[in-house]
Amino acid sequence: MAAIVRLGSVCRRGVKPLFYQSTLLARPLVVPHKYQEQPYQLTAKIHASQALYAGSGSKAASLHWTAERVLSILLLAMGPAAYFNPCPAIDYSLAAALTLHGHWGIGQVLTDYVHGDTKIKLANAGLFLLSTVTFAGLCYFNYNDVGICKAIALLWSK
Amino acid sequence: MFLVPCVARSVFYRHAAPMGTTAKDEMNKFWAKNSKLNRPMSPHLTIYKWSVPMVMSITFRGTGVGLSGAISAFALAALVLPESYPYYLDLIHSLSIGPYLIGLAKFGLALPVSFHTYNGIRHLCWDLGKGFRIPEVYRTGYTVIGLSIITSLALAYL
Repeated sequence: MAAIVRLGSVCRRGVKPLFYQSTLLARPLVVPHKYQEQPYQLTAKIHASQALYAGSGSKAASLHWTAERVLSILLLAMGPAAYFNPCPAIDYSLAAALTLHGHWGIGQVLTDYVHGDTKIKLANAGLFLLSTVTFAGLCYFNYNDVGICKAIALLWSK
Repeated sequence: MFLVPCVARSVFYRHAAPMGTTAKDEMNKFWAKNSKLNRPMSPHLTIYKWSVPMVMSITFRGTGVGLSGAISAFALAALVLPESYPYYLDLIHSLSIGPYLIGLAKFGLALPVSFHTYNGIRHLCWDLGKGFRIPEVYRTGYTVIGLSIITSLALAYL
């Protein structure tokens, strides 16, 4: 009898409330598709409440993520561009894109493995210094030497 | 956040929302608490079964860090070394390294670049939401490995 009642509650409210009830006498049915909508409604309610109470979130992290992907795609496009049209503009764009892509990439590695406020600050400061020197060096190479595109061409012509 | 007697269940859900903290804050708090209590870290790399996607993921990170380091080293060298790029290239030329070793070196340079590029594209596909099913992960993974080797061989023979 109780089993029928439990099965009945599955039909009315979906599977999730079943788990909150302490006496489970029947195994939950495979719930028919339309009843699965209800758990999502509950989830939506929780998220809506959190939006009311959560601190004013900044979109900085999300925008950074998007910028990383945009830069990656840009860098991908620069490959064939550099091959078919080597020129100073490509040299300097490549210098900037490579340095920034590497800077953000290593930044993620540091975020994953470095913990503790001072260590994080030190590591990021070191990274900033490294990236600055890298960009400076690449620009110096582009200005005073053969440039990135020509350098790769010469290296490969061996 | 107190457990209100579940008379009005919807009220319980509203007050379950935490005070606004960022993900970063939560992660820092977790780390600070556990290191303060001197807790050892649970075994992870030593016990988890290695898989192709796992190895590809860390290799992707490894090639990223390695390539970034190589670019930084190159930029530093450009700033510090007195002579020009063609001079040092001729220096290496004059060492009369056989064609096989040159081909090997070219393959060794091309392989991390192509692997990082192709797996980067695979990552971008994931960012678009595509290819998450396990068979797809393995299929795209093997494709990346195959393409990387083929591309590197082709570039080495150029």
